[in-house]
Amino acid sequence: MKIKERRRDGVVILDMSGKLMGGPDAEAFAEILKTLIHEGSHNVVVNLERVNWVNSTGLGILISGYSTLRKSGGELKLLKVSERIENIFVVSKLHTVFHSFQEEEEAVRSFI
Amino acid sequence: MNRISLSLPTDLQFLGVPDAVLLEIGGDMECCTRGLEDLGSAVIEACTNAMEHGNALSDQKTIEVIFEIEEESVTVTVLDEGPGFDFEGWRPSEDLMRQRGRGILIMREFCDTVLFGRHPDGRFMIRLTKLMKPAAESAEDPAGGDS
Repeated sequence: MKIKERRRDGVVILDMSGKLMGGPDAEAFAEILKTLIHEGSHNVVVNLERVNWVNSTGLGILISGYSTLRKSGGELKLLKVSERIENIFVVSKLHTVFHSFQEEEEAVRSFI
Repeated sequence: MNRISLSLPTDLQFLGVPDAVLLEIGGDMECCTRGLEDLGSAVIEACTNAMEHGNALSDQKTIEVIFEIEEESVTVTVLDEGPGFDFEGWRPSEDLMRQRGRGILIMREFCDTVLFGRHPDGRFMIRLTKLMKPAAESAEDPAGGDS
């Protein structure tokens, strides 16, 4: 998994690509969030547009990130979740936890 | 019935290989994409379990993935070298925010049949079957071939 970080109107957008599946990915993602929180950035949009698939371990990465940001007073929201990945969120009931958007502007505005 | 067998090193980087095989198979079957993607998600979970829990991520061990393709169904069997696990007795945690423990749930939700057991050669086995709806039929069905 690759992660590119950018900012829009004070919101951090993490553009993910590849497969979201745990292992070293979990450490990399946690490290990025830790740095963002240290810098005072607590509102994060995770863009899954270029993520091919997510497994249950990958879901754990997102849940951990969500909890970490909530504890710091922020939130993690999702952008451009594919139908395939959405199906996994639905069967695991996580669609009731994560706010998800198809438009980046809408996702960013939701923090304001 | 057509049969394809893959042997994969115990390395999570290869989890996408069986999924790619399924999508290739689907191109010839003219079945709905949703059904194949759901089966692919279940197979990724089975292979994750086989590598992490069955083979304990040992690079000395391999997993085998067998695809059995019939006209109206695809069955995928995943074999590992581990001691096995009481999958039948497993119940999901009620904690929605748990970080692990959703693999079996995903397999059961996305497949028509999920069997756990031991192969005659002693390896632990997960056998996943998905009935495949034709693409045209799936287009009329918002559930898209879900079980």
